[in-house]
Amino acid sequence: MNALPRPSTIFLAAITALVAVLLYSPLFVPIVSSFFTISHGNVDWSSPTLATYVALAENHDILAALRTTLIVGVCTVILSVVSGTLLALYYHGRRSGRSFLQFIIFLPFLMPPIISGLALLIFFREIHLERSLLTVVIGHTVFVLAIVYRTVLMRLQSMSRTLVEASYDLGATGWQTFWRIILPNLSSAMVGGAILAFALSFDETMITILVTGTQSTLPVRLWAMMRLGFSPDINALVALILMFTVLLCVLAARFLIPRQMATERT
Amino acid sequence: MNQNTDLLTLRSVSKSYGTVPVLHDIDLSIKDGEFLTVLGPSGSGKTTVLRLIGGLEPLTAGEIRLDGQDISRMPINKRPFNTVFQDYALFPHMTVSGNVGYGLSVRHMKRKEITRRVAEALELVQLGRFADRFPAQLSGGQRQRVALARALICQPRLILLDEPLAALDLELRRQMQEFLKSIQREIKTTFLFVTHDQEEAIGMADRICVMQAGHIRQLGTPHDLYYKPNCEFVARFFGENNLVPGKLGPAQGEQRSIETALGRLVCSISDQPHLKAAPDGASAFAAFRPEALHMADATDSGNSFSGTIADLAFAGSSTVATITTGGDAAQRLRLRMPSRIDGSVLKSGETVSLCFAPHEGHLVLA
Repeated sequence: MNALPRPSTIFLAAITALVAVLLYSPLFVPIVSSFFTISHGNVDWSSPTLATYVALAENHDILAALRTTLIVGVCTVILSVVSGTLLALYYHGRRSGRSFLQFIIFLPFLMPPIISGLALLIFFREIHLERSLLTVVIGHTVFVLAIVYRTVLMRLQSMSRTLVEASYDLGATGWQTFWRIILPNLSSAMVGGAILAFALSFDETMITILVTGTQSTLPVRLWAMMRLGFSPDINALVALILMFTVLLCVLAARFLIPRQMATERT
Repeated sequence: MNQNTDLLTLRSVSKSYGTVPVLHDIDLSIKDGEFLTVLGPSGSGKTTVLRLIGGLEPLTAGEIRLDGQDISRMPINKRPFNTVFQDYALFPHMTVSGNVGYGLSVRHMKRKEITRRVAEALELVQLGRFADRFPAQLSGGQRQRVALARALICQPRLILLDEPLAALDLELRRQMQEFLKSIQREIKTTFLFVTHDQEEAIGMADRICVMQAGHIRQLGTPHDLYYKPNCEFVARFFGENNLVPGKLGPAQGEQRSIETALGRLVCSISDQPHLKAAPDGASAFAAFRPEALHMADATDSGNSFSGTIADLAFAGSSTVATITTGGDAAQRLRLRMPSRIDGSVLKSGETVSLCFAPHEGHLVLA
């Protein structure tokens, strides 16, 4: 790694910088321009302002969409964490059927969202389930389950089997072992998985559009606004969603670092 | 405690994983209050014996009796035994006192009582100051002692130790051996200690059970195993030894001769009836320890033969000579003698006359 000659190091640094700028600079454009007004289709760079944010806060449609998003997100997190953890616990250490189950769980996550969404839509219509927030929550849960399942299963696999044996050996029942040994060792993985699940649910657009009833979530609202034309509060909205997602990812990373490292001697 | 009563008895215990047998028809009695070491190379089944007793694995056949009661089907959390695991298995999310008190708190003991007994147990293993630390903040030796305190706080009838010193460095391992032995003397609980390290076994055990390939080869005091091994495996595995193959000659009282490439050797067979009973001409080994072999002088009447010194190795307090004997069936023997400050009396390449006394040699059947 450190044995590269100097010119090639400089060359690699230049390539890295170029890629970073090309790929990620578009992300900063809406953030920057959200602090300026737009007149006649051009950004007016002369006077920085928070006017777009004020306009956003007064937009009741957007506030309603935000509330819907939060409701869907929380419900999705609860459903996916409970069922993902149960599935991981059930299939941990079990050989038969595990790879098939994993395939099923990962399928909606890997398929194009439009396919997952259409499949769900057809299913809901067949069982005569009216499209509503409930169908959105089910759709999101199917989509994010893979993340929670995988996160919890990985923690379970890294947990020493002798911890459970030691608990029984010391006289604990299966119930006590679960609540006092297994669950506490999974909790940070569950929180990390929950944050990732929430972030995914927060951004999910395609499945939501297909299975939602009359209410729309924030990304769906955003998409609808774009169809009517570019308005300045879109910049503000994009900037806020972007910051929120980054915050969630940072949080998730914190919880997913193994506990051992966090409690390392000081 | 009476050292002569059996605490635990294994009767014709067998264990297979699928179709692979790992233990064959094991019979073993553990006496109340003793320090019993199960010694064997890896794959000998020694850890399986411990896991069967602890209830971590079900038996395939046979039975385990505690005070005469069959406990073969008793669930692990009901058995009055506690285990010190090889990787310690400390609960990472609990403090030292949380770990040590776990066995009491799952039995719904009063918090005040738990606090008192945890403090006592930590005092016993000299970790009183570390009660509020987490396992990740402790050294290997400290974790080891937490695991021990956690096992003995439940006042088990038997403590099972699964190679608990394997992960420690040499100096710490020596300290922990003494420490374990002194704790065992203090609390007078029966210890069943599994290890592959024969030095560890000699240093700590009241009795040693040598295992190989799923069988118990010999059970006895360290002294018995060292001076009266009952088979070639034990003779080779337990301490350094010289084994010379030959055919048994007639027995004479407590001694018996054996015809070998080194000539006729006479060895002791006292207290070993199976050697007295073996037919003349049976294949066997004359076995003698490196420290029993010495340079012959005129007064020696014992088993003498000549050999050439191939190599001399200084090993601190002792010096080890590798000796080759002539003839068609050349032997390599080892001789150990106390080191001397003015250098060895032996010289490499020299041919010398060697001998060992009949009472220091023993026989094992091939």
